Amino acid sequence: MSEVSIKTFTRGGIHPPEHKEPTAGSPIREIPPAPEMILPLSQHAGAPCEPAVAAGDHVLAGQKIGDCAAFISAPVHASVSGTVKAIEDRRNFTGAMVRTIIITPDAEQQSVPSVAPRDWRAMDVEEIKQIVREAGIVGLGGAAFPASVKIAPPKDKPIDTVIINGCECEPFLTCDQALMLKRPDDLIEATRLLMRVVGAKQGRIGIEVNKPDAIEVLETRLRGDADVAVTRCMVKYPEGAEKQLIKAVVNREVPPGKLPSEVGALVQNVGTALAILDAVREGTPLTKRIVTVTGAVKNPGNLEVYIGTPVSFVIEQCGGFSAPPGKIILGGPMTGWAIEDLNLPIQKGTSGVVVLTQQYVETHPILACVRCGKCVEVCPMGLMPNVISIYAERGNWDGAEKWNAMDCFECGSCAYVCPSKRPIIAWVRDAKAAINQKRRQQREAKK
Amino acid sequence: MSNRNLVVTPPPHLKQRDAVADAMRDVAIALVPVTLVALYFYRLHAVITLVLCIGASIGTEIVVRRMMGKQPQIGNMSSIVTGWLLALCFAPTTAWWTMIIGAVLAVGVAKELMGGLGWNWFNPALFGRIVPVAFAPLFSWIGQLLSSTRFSLAIVDTVSQATPLAMLKGNSLAGAPSITQLLIAFPGGGMGESSALALIIGGAYLLVRKHINWRIPVGMIGTVFVLTLVLGKFPVHQILSGGLLLAAFFMATDWVTAPVTNNGRLIFGIAIGLITVIFRVFGASPEGVGFAVLLMNPMARMLDRVTKPKVFGQA
Repeated sequence: MSEVSIKTFTRGGIHPPEHKEPTAGSPIREIPPAPEMILPLSQHAGAPCEPAVAAGDHVLAGQKIGDCAAFISAPVHASVSGTVKAIEDRRNFTGAMVRTIIITPDAEQQSVPSVAPRDWRAMDVEEIKQIVREAGIVGLGGAAFPASVKIAPPKDKPIDTVIINGCECEPFLTCDQALMLKRPDDLIEATRLLMRVVGAKQGRIGIEVNKPDAIEVLETRLRGDADVAVTRCMVKYPEGAEKQLIKAVVNREVPPGKLPSEVGALVQNVGTALAILDAVREGTPLTKRIVTVTGAVKNPGNLEVYIGTPVSFVIEQCGGFSAPPGKIILGGPMTGWAIEDLNLPIQKGTSGVVVLTQQYVETHPILACVRCGKCVEVCPMGLMPNVISIYAERGNWDGAEKWNAMDCFECGSCAYVCPSKRPIIAWVRDAKAAINQKRRQQREAKK
Repeated sequence: MSNRNLVVTPPPHLKQRDAVADAMRDVAIALVPVTLVALYFYRLHAVITLVLCIGASIGTEIVVRRMMGKQPQIGNMSSIVTGWLLALCFAPTTAWWTMIIGAVLAVGVAKELMGGLGWNWFNPALFGRIVPVAFAPLFSWIGQLLSSTRFSLAIVDTVSQATPLAMLKGNSLAGAPSITQLLIAFPGGGMGESSALALIIGGAYLLVRKHINWRIPVGMIGTVFVLTLVLGKFPVHQILSGGLLLAAFFMATDWVTAPVTNNGRLIFGIAIGLITVIFRVFGASPEGVGFAVLLMNPMARMLDRVTKPKVFGQA
């Protein structure tokens, strides 16, 4: 097997410490529902949902409790059965106010009636797309982009390759690895399902070579397969970023501002692909996900968590803190969000809960850019983060736009290497928000 | 369960340990070999030069930043490294007041008045070394004033031979040191020119530690070699003498005043090499690399613009 080549993207990238040992390869543990479940009506990129239930209603697990007619959106389902305690505005992990449904679970835990297993090979593709939409599936890798939109690319952009993203390049996280080990046959079936939906002739499962167990278990099953194969990817961050993974696997570059369909590719994360299979085959909407809970907790692991479970409950299920926490992150440490309120819920896009001790909390002062150029060397998008950061720091959004701030997908490689410890990503986010607002205003002015 | 004094900062939450101070510390480490050679040759004079330059640099940073209402940033070691490099640029025979003026110009004018570390347009140490020479009439009165007060430290006479580069000015190598002498250790010129080998060791350390990019020194040294070879001006001697290696590894590679793109760095290095040869071969003074670096410093940001990398996926 030494002949197998290891693929990667060509520009930039970093090698942060992996920190995956505590949970790598550990089996998935199920945890019960929490005493109170918190379900924001916007857990996805796109339009938020309107509540479909009222306070006091009894809901079943899997029942739709929020929906929206917009194309880019995803309905929300009750993850447990119980009583709607309240519908109120709450801050989500980003600090934004979101309409949120609070459910008190009951003892019965009844689900909506299950459907008989369906054979997707015999189903109409449009029907499959509708099922994915109704199941509320979004990208489970973290971006939370509605899956129904991704699997319905424009007609004039034929897709020839489905790429399953099993890179899991974020340090600490091992939930995709756990899923690949637990459900390899289902993952291969999910790949074929996606290939059928978009009419692709080949499927690739991209896995970083630091997960040899997952590679082996899948390759054993795929031996001799003409269409689906594992692509071994180099351990490099951000290998699992959509554009970088497409470059690594099929050596195509998605142009700036364009989607993967532009180069005939569809990328879905391992968890997302399996959620799509579950919805199509079993009729189950997205109500649970795998979350890596790691860092300074007594019993770290890969947990199967009901969506809406408060972070505090998840940490209790892992035996509580093993050391005083300095920072708690939803998602991975490179792109995740630090939170203060442990009553925030696990959402559809929450891939991890990483508890960092005080030693990881940065104490360095922010200095001026010293033009070392390290950010330029590591930027996988070929940008000059140093220049963007200097403009954005001063609120010069036009300067940031001219230097391609909009092409930044916020992987954080630049800020990781910056010796002046500049919060480049925070500034880029400010710049992107301002540029987007300006563009919206310009569009409206034209009308 | 909220309000546990949890820190909330934007991602990424993992950062490489290296900070500006760590890089400066590595530059200081890389300067140790050549400094040891200088101490061997010049003894007390080298000690005095180093103490004066570094002390004056730190003092200037404290005074100027306080005057501007800012906290001094001695901890990032920038003024220490600037003072150290400045000392290595000076010959040990330099008058003490020239060193002080150099340090004030380097740290006070070239760095702090430009906005502090990161905003300077010129390499501070070279600025402090070259400006008093280039604008000598502006500063000579200070020397006259001070020499008449018998306040001179009288650092003269130690090594009053011609510098190796001056010996190369003609068209023969008569009287010039051998390549081996130049490579290992040979006094003359600035203190930092005492040993090519020591500079190469320091430069290699910075390359291994990834603080500097090979394109600048290779562009510079390669250009000087090729051009002097073509012109018949003893290419190996040219590379090993004068401040070329010191400038190539420690000054032209200065983060703030060099381009940040790889192509920009290569062009920058080649241009400095070219200007150096023009000064050395056609100029009145045998030295020229310091001028060449200072001339190219303000071009760094322009070179960044013209060598801006292609955005991923751009046709």
